[in-house]
Amino acid sequence: MTKRILLYATLAVGAFVSVFPYLLVVLTAFKTQAQLSSTPPWLPGLPPTADNLAEMLGGDFPRFILNTAVMTALLTAGQLVFTTFAAYAFARLRFRGRDVLFWLFVATMMVPSAVTMIPLFLIMRELDLVNTWYGLLAPYVLGTPYGIFLMRQFFKSLPAGLEEAARIDGAGSLTILLRVMLPLCRPALGTLAIITVISSWNSFLWPLIITSGDDTKVITVAIATLKDGIGVDYHLMMAGSLIALAPMVAIFIFFQKYIVRSVVLTGLK
Amino acid sequence: MTGNRSTGSPRSTGNASSTGSSSSTGNSVMTGDTAGTGPARDHAGGAPAPGDGGARAESPRGHAAGPRRRRLGDAWHAYLFIAPSLFGVLAFLLVPMLIVIVLSLFDWELLSAPEFVGLDNYARLAADGETWHSLWVTVAYVLLCIPLQTALALGLAMLLNRRIKGVRFYRSLFVVPWMATPIVLGLIWNWIFDPRDGALNGALALVGITGPDWLSDRAWALPAVALVSVWQHTGYNMLFFLAGLQGIPKELHDAAETDGATAAQRFWKVTLPLLNPTMFFVTVTNLIGAFQVFDTVYAMTNGGPGRSTEVLNFRIFETAFKQFDFGYAATLSTLLFVIIFLVTVVQVRFFGKRTTYDLS
Repeated sequence: MTKRILLYATLAVGAFVSVFPYLLVVLTAFKTQAQLSSTPPWLPGLPPTADNLAEMLGGDFPRFILNTAVMTALLTAGQLVFTTFAAYAFARLRFRGRDVLFWLFVATMMVPSAVTMIPLFLIMRELDLVNTWYGLLAPYVLGTPYGIFLMRQFFKSLPAGLEEAARIDGAGSLTILLRVMLPLCRPALGTLAIITVISSWNSFLWPLIITSGDDTKVITVAIATLKDGIGVDYHLMMAGSLIALAPMVAIFIFFQKYIVRSVVLTGLK
Repeated sequence: MTGNRSTGSPRSTGNASSTGSSSSTGNSVMTGDTAGTGPARDHAGGAPAPGDGGARAESPRGHAAGPRRRRLGDAWHAYLFIAPSLFGVLAFLLVPMLIVIVLSLFDWELLSAPEFVGLDNYARLAADGETWHSLWVTVAYVLLCIPLQTALALGLAMLLNRRIKGVRFYRSLFVVPWMATPIVLGLIWNWIFDPRDGALNGALALVGITGPDWLSDRAWALPAVALVSVWQHTGYNMLFFLAGLQGIPKELHDAAETDGATAAQRFWKVTLPLLNPTMFFVTVTNLIGAFQVFDTVYAMTNGGPGRSTEVLNFRIFETAFKQFDFGYAATLSTLLFVIIFLVTVVQVRFFGKRTTYDLS
């Protein structure tokens, strides 16, 4: 019994620690500057104020949110389309050089993004794409090797005879992929989509390097600028953080089973 | 861009004898389905585990239609299908990788033409105390966060891997930190670590402790940044360990218990070895990510106080985009790549004794 209580206590502490920073964001975002120092951080400021949110949303923030949403949508769409095609080919079609090419893809998963950022910047500079949408999106819109790896694992798990009937009817690879395979792929595509949405929304270093104007500024870069601009006005910073985090929290709440499934897709059990 | 989430590694599943058992079907990982963990299957006598698709058992290498059904149309379709991705991999991963290496042999500050300097940058690197300091900071960061977040993740997974109420609920809550935007996280934790009004020192004051000025204190700044990584990654890693634990047949533990093994012995001799593939995946991906840490450092300390949190990736960024010393920044990038590569190779060696990489 004591053991049981200890177990639940540990889990409760873990859960509290996991959620507390989020809670703090919400509490702080609704405080006035005066309440910031007069109340303990873990208690709400009464009465709550929406001024901080209003101030943030009254500025350029909605525009940056929109930019981030556009970037996230395009990168996710690109990832889903190109990854599905490539993964399907690697998993279920036969062609010369397949294994070599796949090893090449797997090997590139090891290439750290920190190492490629300088040459990528220089490439974009040569092509005159610095501070453009093309420059921001190009390196990632064609999908990632990791995505291809996950989807390939999924395609290989589908029964072997699946294409037979369609082939006998004379269907080509494209028809089979779109009509037979794709409907079965929904759970895997959902997982890939969620992972891509989250990593795109959260991406910082590349946007920081490649963009400078407001037209392409994304929320993470805006938040970083905010820090330099307003110093330690935590009520405003937490209001900005709340705005930036809210979409991801919503996605998590509605699609968390897809996140759990990402573990299954790696093929680890 | 995708940071440590975009990195991945070849999967490993059990012993060489196991077939293509690694790719699990789309069913939920938490159903307790024990199919196809390599080592577990071996110990269970090598019989195909339930849930392993019969089709896959027939064609372990997983070709959909088998060699006899080769079709003329397939090949060019396939090339068409992989063309965009292949272009992406070549243009945005492999070519940049080559450019970094070539650029490391040049002196280039963008305004003038690049000048070939041979190995000068590497000679400079060898004598560059600040870079060695950054390297040490990076290693210290990795050592501070990786063992802790791995151990905590495994511990939590073991707690959750039993019949208790609300497993799903706790599991979800533990994963909540993972999706947080790192740059935003930096701000949030700045607020938590704030020496005057912050939650941490506020809580410490309640029990009579005067907390340090975390992020302005040379001794505490790096552990504080590492703690944020632990907070963010423990839960997601826990998912992998939980899935791994659920793949270990209960009979193995029962047998060990019957043989008089203590709980500690069962952990070290049964659980841990059987979690090898999971451990491999988790440590490889986490290490690759940790060696590249940037966002939280940028948001929390900007490398300070007094360079005490200036990790290698931060130094690369500063060298390239603040000092516009692109040649030398490329040299530092090459160094980072070599380190990450070596660390990965060491892990493949270490875990490879017991596991193989099932990429067929």
